[in-house]
Amino acid sequence: MNPKSHPLNRRTFLRGSGVALALPWLETFAASSRAKDATPKRFLSVYHPDGVGLPLKSDPAWKDWSWFPRGGEKDFELTKVLDVLQPLRSDITIYSGLSHPAARNVHGHSNADQYLTGAPVGGSGPYKNSISLDQVYAEHAGNFTRHSSLVMSTNGGVGGPRGAQTQSFNREGRPIPAMNKPKQIFDLLFVTSGKDAAAKLARSKSALDLLIANTRSLGRQLSKHDQQTLSQYLDAVRDTELKLEKAQKWLTTPVPQVDTRNLHLDAEPKEARLYFQTMYELIYLAFLSDSTRVATFQLGRENGEGPHDLLSLAVGLGGAHGLTHAVKNPGGWQNLGTYNRYQAEEFGRFVQKLKDTPEPNGSGSMLDNTLAMHGSASSSFHLSRNYPIITAGGKNLGFSNGRYLKFGTGNEDNQAGAGIVSDAGWTGKMEVEELPLARLFVTILQRLGLERDAFAGETGTLARV
Amino acid sequence: MTHIHSLLPQSLLSSAGAVLLLLGSVWTLQAASVQESVVSLDVVREQGRAKSRFLKDAPEAAKGTDVIPKANVAAFQKLVEPMLKKSCIACHGPEKAKGRLRIDQLNPDMLHGPDAERWREVFNALSKSEMPPEDEPDYALAAADRGSMVDWLSAELNAASIVRRSSQEHSSFRRLTNYEYNYALQDILGLPVPPVDKLPPETTSADGFNNSSELLQMSAMQFETYRELGLKSLKRATVSGERPPAVTYLISMQEEMAKAVTKEAKAALAKTKDGKTPDRIRNPQRSKNQPQLVQRATGERIDFAEGAELPRDGAVVGKTPPLSPVVLELPRSRELKLDLDRFLPDEGTMRVRIRAGRSIMNPVEYASLRLIFSAHTSNNANFSQIVSAHDIPVTAPVDKPQFIEFDIPLGDIQRNPFRHLNTTFPRRNEFLHIQSVSNAGGGEQSLHVVIDHIEISAPFYEQWPPQTHTAIFFASKNKGDEQAYGREVLNRFLKRVWRRPVNKEEVDPFMALFAKYRPGFATFEEAMVEVLATALSTPEFLYLSQRVANAKTKSPSQISTLELASRLSVFLWSSIPDDELVQLADQGKLREPKVLAAQVKRMLADPRAQRFSYNFVEQWLGLERMSSATHVTDSTLKTAMQEEPRAFFEEVLGQNRSIMDFIHSDYAVVNERLANHYRIPQVFGPQFRKVSVTPQTNRGGLLTSAVIMTMNSDGKDSHPLKRGVWMMKRILDDPPPPPPPNVPQVDLTNPEILKMTMKERIADHRNKPACNSCHSKIDPWGIAFENYDALGAYRTRIKDKPVDATSELFNHQTLAGIDGLKRYLLADRQDQFARAMVHKLTTYALGRPLTFADSSDLDRLTAQLRRGGDGLGDLIQLIVSSDLFNSR
Repeated sequence: MNPKSHPLNRRTFLRGSGVALALPWLETFAASSRAKDATPKRFLSVYHPDGVGLPLKSDPAWKDWSWFPRGGEKDFELTKVLDVLQPLRSDITIYSGLSHPAARNVHGHSNADQYLTGAPVGGSGPYKNSISLDQVYAEHAGNFTRHSSLVMSTNGGVGGPRGAQTQSFNREGRPIPAMNKPKQIFDLLFVTSGKDAAAKLARSKSALDLLIANTRSLGRQLSKHDQQTLSQYLDAVRDTELKLEKAQKWLTTPVPQVDTRNLHLDAEPKEARLYFQTMYELIYLAFLSDSTRVATFQLGRENGEGPHDLLSLAVGLGGAHGLTHAVKNPGGWQNLGTYNRYQAEEFGRFVQKLKDTPEPNGSGSMLDNTLAMHGSASSSFHLSRNYPIITAGGKNLGFSNGRYLKFGTGNEDNQAGAGIVSDAGWTGKMEVEELPLARLFVTILQRLGLERDAFAGETGTLARV
Repeated sequence: MTHIHSLLPQSLLSSAGAVLLLLGSVWTLQAASVQESVVSLDVVREQGRAKSRFLKDAPEAAKGTDVIPKANVAAFQKLVEPMLKKSCIACHGPEKAKGRLRIDQLNPDMLHGPDAERWREVFNALSKSEMPPEDEPDYALAAADRGSMVDWLSAELNAASIVRRSSQEHSSFRRLTNYEYNYALQDILGLPVPPVDKLPPETTSADGFNNSSELLQMSAMQFETYRELGLKSLKRATVSGERPPAVTYLISMQEEMAKAVTKEAKAALAKTKDGKTPDRIRNPQRSKNQPQLVQRATGERIDFAEGAELPRDGAVVGKTPPLSPVVLELPRSRELKLDLDRFLPDEGTMRVRIRAGRSIMNPVEYASLRLIFSAHTSNNANFSQIVSAHDIPVTAPVDKPQFIEFDIPLGDIQRNPFRHLNTTFPRRNEFLHIQSVSNAGGGEQSLHVVIDHIEISAPFYEQWPPQTHTAIFFASKNKGDEQAYGREVLNRFLKRVWRRPVNKEEVDPFMALFAKYRPGFATFEEAMVEVLATALSTPEFLYLSQRVANAKTKSPSQISTLELASRLSVFLWSSIPDDELVQLADQGKLREPKVLAAQVKRMLADPRAQRFSYNFVEQWLGLERMSSATHVTDSTLKTAMQEEPRAFFEEVLGQNRSIMDFIHSDYAVVNERLANHYRIPQVFGPQFRKVSVTPQTNRGGLLTSAVIMTMNSDGKDSHPLKRGVWMMKRILDDPPPPPPPNVPQVDLTNPEILKMTMKERIADHRNKPACNSCHSKIDPWGIAFENYDALGAYRTRIKDKPVDATSELFNHQTLAGIDGLKRYLLADRQDQFARAMVHKLTTYALGRPLTFADSSDLDRLTAQLRRGGDGLGDLIQLIVSSDLFNSR
């Protein structure tokens, strides 16, 4: 293999990324960290729209440019699309045969909305989403960090219904706006927040004091039994008070200091490589400083123009979305594969960096305590089935890597829907069996320490993971 | 069919689970069948009523139907113990005690003894035929013996759980339910719609109610949501500064016609260049079923379904312009789609005002208007939603058109998130669709909605400052003095929120809070809004209090008249009392019988009483299950189905009809869509109304309403079991015990079973000893409904077989289909149903589970109801004046 295609050792990273970390800060941080907290368990989901290349076996491009690996669980072989991850082979797991049942006949363009939620958002009419995987975890992990989650995308904001530009949805199913400007993200993470928050907190504090006094005076006029019922209210107020105190503490806790000299905080998506690496670097810094333990990153929106369409400029190709439509043109599969390969490469660079960084407050590397997921909700052209998913890390959480896990039946060589370039694919009947992706989500949540046995209406975990 | 029960002496069957069963004497079925062809259900009802023991006995004698269950130890000794000795004790006795179970040491009194949980394990093992082990033929149990053991165990376990539930202390002190909180907020602030429901969902009690004090928990999340909603709603109700300029669109049909004509002429010209013949422009015949602009004078017409509009500066709305020479004709189900670009404000009310009339006035057709809001930001990224709360009927003739007004809260509906972009992609536009919803037929002379004027304005205010604002920040001579005025504002607001007068000391802490907040805000109002938001999270607002009265009063358990006012309004309005109620309560007059009766009457006549019929009927009948019924694909039908029981209830309540009408009535309450479904002719329009039905329609009463049949089906066919359970739970108030774990499933891979009809399958299942005990009680009730399919339509054949809807109750009463079931209920079960209805309504009214201690009160209420003629309106009056309702 060409050594040039493995730019993932630590040296080349530090040289190449242009986002070097000020090492003294690392030590400062480690010393001042809240040592009493257990080792952080982290979760990252990276989503890329437009799916991957899935040529037919009979196509000459199949050998090199089909996304899914070939072979068995351990002896799988990566094609040229994912060979950039070869050095990390023992740190990753690749999945096939998973999808959200509710989306299997919905056009791929509407897919970014439901990848992490599994909600039946459908293709038209009224729109209702549900909580995303990362936010379920953030509700718990957010108790330990300044920010409950870091929500990012190349396009920013929430996007439109069925055209999401964020991967994260709250408990009511409402989209959480994603940040897309490195400067804005950096300021949020590492620059003190304003006075408004402090004033608001002070107001809440006084209101709670009044409510507690008021509740006590009512309680004195009630029967013993009813007092007990009312004590629930008092507990709720006290819990809220504790939350406020925590928020107060964060207000007064100094934000971590970071050397910004080598951070390209003004990078824009059209400088794809720089932008990508800066965004990943910010996730890395946020994790390292334990500012948050949850992050999502959406590489653009499904379909249409927008900043993300420029990302493929990084590999000398134009119009990312157009690549999926042009697979039958000369070199088409290779072009799409090259773009997917580039996405994997940047993901791999980030994973490698976590691997190279010892856990500041625990054992092993940061990667061992982080589950990083990379995927899309379509495989072939607009086809919302057989999601191409990679997870990396999580050894200390119970994930054992170096595997290619095929689920479902009837599609062992990933040929269902291969080679299609028409809407007949996503509207067509499902001929093979796939398992609900939500089961992988349940596994992930359990390993992150949550007592959950269902997600998006699906109960149970995924065997073998 | 084998009846396991017939193997048991009847006396041993006194199941505690069937607390309410077997009321009155058994009316012999011979009498029914002989007279079946001649006696109408009305006559049966009269005869059945005459037999009521509540009419015969003194109320005191009618006491005690809620017998406290007793352990049936006699049956244990006579039947169960010998079998245990024969089949179980060898392994689970002094010799071996396998699984650490000494069956000989278990106390057979599960109601008072400590071993109910161990008995449950025995029950599970026996009902699943796990024990005795198959490979121990010496200890094998005959199927009949297993059946009687399972029967005994199931009855005792159920009795034990009833006793346990009943022995806990219950109180009506509870927080408001989510819907009550939302309505209360709406009423306090005078908002047009309740706030968006963001509160965590409520839990439903065993009785089916969502307002049960035991289950209305409070958590930090709930509390924080209250704080957020309170502040948000207050900010919506109040304003500051100058009236914001409105964005206004005026759609002139004349201008639109000019634009459309030019556009079409251009298109035609372009085609002519190709040498092709252009479509005939303005051909009146071309598309009679499309929306068209019509020149009134000439009849000239052109297709027009989409308009692109821009706001007009300085446009005035709310006037009555002269009739337009050009009108839009909107046929049935068609819509006008208006592209409003990206100029609508983020918040505030959008007033859509449409002048419309009917093209023809034929009485059998109706038309109404509906608003839909949509955006299409890029390929496949789109949404559309109905934003009008209700369709508004168009009733005026075309030459005297009416104004139709919709108010849409722009901050609450789904909006195009890209509307503020500086670039043009993703697309920023938002669309308003005006749709005609109608039953008009096709053809020349069909009904169209004729629109000649449309105006859209946002944010729209009737007045400035709006009334919601001046209700809180009212005019006062003290307005210049923040201390004095602040106190006035708080006094009035707290009185409303706490439903009682407040004293100075109670206002003080809020004034102190205001003093703290004031420096942080530019205006008095902004700071005060934050203080008022705190008042909206006080426990006295969120909870229905019942103070311990001081010992001097005559009846120490009686609630105060002010608390009575709150209980009344939460019962009948699902919200807080209004000023009139609070005033009467404050004067101590509310409990005077005449005053109370008049207030209840007033409250039931108020539109807020619809919340009562909506919420009570929803919970009583368990209608929420309908929302998960996915097999009703026609949304108009589904909505009509869901509406029917509420409309029926309102009819019975409004006219003070007999509650026996719920079992059967010679009328139905339907709209056109539902009447079509029921094959009732000559019902036109979407509104519900009472119509007479003949026995041939097989309708009348609530039991056979489509929604009940549909939600109790399996999506493809009827589901007798679900229907039976529903009957027992909701109508007879005699819920069957929950099914044992791992009940054997009906094996649908077995070709023999697959061949059977549903009724046969169920019979097959019932004949398994483990299942028989419960199913022989449940199934017959459901089988009687077999003439109603999965959508509640009446049928006489299932596939190639005639429907067999006859069944036999476990007391050997034969039910001949729905008519037979109604006959039996009306003849023999009127008292049970009346008692059930009293139980359900009282549970809802009190917001707590009822216990054995309440049963004499319930009996008294039932007797009063029956003697007074069973009127539903009377029952409400009886409940609110009862001791139960007036006590803590």
